[in-house]
Amino acid sequence: MSALPIGLPLETGGAPSRFRALEIVTTRGQRRGRPRLVVAIVTVAGLFAILAAQLLLSIATSEGAYEISSLQARQSELARDQQVMAESLRVLEAPQHLSAEAQAMGMVANSSAAYLRLVDGAVLGVPAAASASAALRTADDGSSLIPNSLLSEVPLVAVPGQTGATDAPGEGPVGAPAAPGEPSTPPTVPAGIPTPTTH
Amino acid sequence: MTPPRQTRRRLALALLSLFAVFSIFVVRLVDIQLVRADELNTDSTNKRAIGVTTYAARGDIVDKDGSVLAGSVMRFDITVSPRTVIEAYRDAEAETLLDAAAGIAAITGQTTDEVMRAVMADPESDFAYIAKAVTTEQMRQIRALEIPGVIPSQHPIRIYPGGSVAGNLVGFVGTDGPQNGLEYTENDCLASTNGTSTYERGADGIRLPGSTVTTQPAVEGGTITTTIDSDLNWSVQQMIAEQGLAIGASSALAMVTEVSTGKLLTVADWPSVDPNNRDATPPEYLGSLAFSAAYEPGSIFKPMTASMLLDQGVASPTTQVTVPSRWTSPEGSVIKDAAAHAEQRLTLAGVIQQSSNVGISQLATRLPSGMRYDYMTAFGVGERTEVDFQGESKGLLASRWDDQQKYDVAYGQGVSTSLAQVSSIYQTLGNGGVRMPLTLVSSCTGPDGIVVDPAPVEGARVVSEAAADTTVQMMEGVVTGGGLARELQIPGYRVAAKSGTAEVSENGRYTSKRVVSIAGLAPAEDPKYAVVVMFVNPGTMKTSAAAAPTFKKIMTKVLTTYRVTPSTTPPPALPTTW
Repeated sequence: MSALPIGLPLETGGAPSRFRALEIVTTRGQRRGRPRLVVAIVTVAGLFAILAAQLLLSIATSEGAYEISSLQARQSELARDQQVMAESLRVLEAPQHLSAEAQAMGMVANSSAAYLRLVDGAVLGVPAAASASAALRTADDGSSLIPNSLLSEVPLVAVPGQTGATDAPGEGPVGAPAAPGEPSTPPTVPAGIPTPTTH
Repeated sequence: MTPPRQTRRRLALALLSLFAVFSIFVVRLVDIQLVRADELNTDSTNKRAIGVTTYAARGDIVDKDGSVLAGSVMRFDITVSPRTVIEAYRDAEAETLLDAAAGIAAITGQTTDEVMRAVMADPESDFAYIAKAVTTEQMRQIRALEIPGVIPSQHPIRIYPGGSVAGNLVGFVGTDGPQNGLEYTENDCLASTNGTSTYERGADGIRLPGSTVTTQPAVEGGTITTTIDSDLNWSVQQMIAEQGLAIGASSALAMVTEVSTGKLLTVADWPSVDPNNRDATPPEYLGSLAFSAAYEPGSIFKPMTASMLLDQGVASPTTQVTVPSRWTSPEGSVIKDAAAHAEQRLTLAGVIQQSSNVGISQLATRLPSGMRYDYMTAFGVGERTEVDFQGESKGLLASRWDDQQKYDVAYGQGVSTSLAQVSSIYQTLGNGGVRMPLTLVSSCTGPDGIVVDPAPVEGARVVSEAAADTTVQMMEGVVTGGGLARELQIPGYRVAAKSGTAEVSENGRYTSKRVVSIAGLAPAEDPKYAVVVMFVNPGTMKTSAAAAPTFKKIMTKVLTTYRVTPSTTPPPALPTTW
């Protein structure tokens, strides 16, 4: 390696002006190809924007995870509520329960087969009044002959002997506006039994 | 110009150490990524991932209108980590472990001692049961106590909302799976598959988004739709139970069949099993005796015998026969009527009305035994019904009959049938001689709502329509003029019925035990429903008069339930004597 110093532009005569004029002139193509500042700024800013968006998005997602989690917990609790109610409804629907309720209200099943035909008011079959002996028989301990252990802790809504017009004359059953003492005659419809007009 | 030797050596050394370090990394990488990959992955997932079981409910068993006979509900097992809970209360001042145990005990209905025993059985353990199958309400109360280490876990159980309504048919699921009835035989449809999935959770216990992996999807069980009408079934069970108690019978059975389809609307067994509390029922009554028990049917067989005579044209309702109360056949076998009587001149209609063993025996042998055997097989005798219920009996029908048996079979002795087979005979007679397959389960509906495995619906003609209809008319004579007429008549309807009192044989000898039954059809002019009712071994009343009032109640209930219009024509007056 030779350490030959490049001659400094010494002020030697008129030569300096010639050196100063010697500048590398970039071509137009080179100038166009040079990276522009604005592009760099846009790129870096875009990068930061993407990073920030990703960060925000992931924060939002994890926030959502908490929300989903709490909503799922709520959904499962509500599903349990629904299930508990559906279960108790099914048990209350059991024929043993319904019949015991009806009997506690003073009702018995009528075993005669008779119908009222609405079109002309004709009575089909031979109607007969039900008797108290038609009441359902129960086992000695008062439980149903057709047992259902699910009903053992379901109390009857109707209290035996407390409902029905004969047992409680002062408080007639709901929907019976007739005053006590009034003879109970069936309602008369002047123009026969109303029927819908069908085509 | 070449670098000095020292530099070169240094360079080589650097390269070499670089290569060595790189090799170590490569080896390590291969070890982690390939050799121990599975093990490490599992380890890591186990640290973060929580496995959960997704419970799929076992399918329901429903009646024909969708009312649930057997369904699944969620219960909770209360589990505890004794190590955690003991640790948590070690230094507590305000509340002790004993207080916490008392809190749980008050909710579950246990004693504090029992809860403490469950916890202290193995203090180092991480898992113990405190209580099993508590309700949602109880679980919520326990959860509200916020006792560390106490965790409820879901656990579906089976309930039977109707109790013993059709309980003998539905069966039950025990701790080891389905054990009886439809629960057992239809398990392929009802069974569900629990799913499993895992998710990962953070330090605060919250599920990491998108980390749920379903390893096994949960598949719900299918729904079994039966042909049973649960309300009617209950009514009939109640009726036979009341009468069974009144006459001191050991058991009672009844069936209601829709004549046009062969669908069983009611199969009532008494004693009735409550599948919710099956221990209360003796084991011999856990199944359905309507299918599994075979009895000699007795006189309710006579209409079937009459229908084959009519079908072959060897007899008509007016065919005349002279009936002594005790008759010796040409082969020397002796046939007796139930009660002694003077010699009667009966028509075939009269033989049915008076239920004469002697009369039907004389007429039945107009057909060769082989032909009668074929007819009986076509009626379903000697074969299991299409229901193929668990433990169903074929009954007993010998293929060769001796000189006594060929007469006995005509009036239902020397042959045994299940009540289901008798139902099928009456369904055939009511349906103009076309036997429909007896059906109890109409279909299995998969969890996707697609119906698989529907029941067969093709019928087969057994006797001609005229023969079947005439047989029904002769059975009307039992209701209009027979000995039980008063007990059997339903005002407003034409009813056809036949009584039966059969002797029960034990160890090859007939005993004083009886099986009393009534089978019948209504409305007789166009039969829609067949009802058979039977009491086994009644104590106080040993004739079919014990079954007649119950038959009438059941038939009335059926007619009103399905809104059958009362009959408008009078019953035919077939001559019974000559």
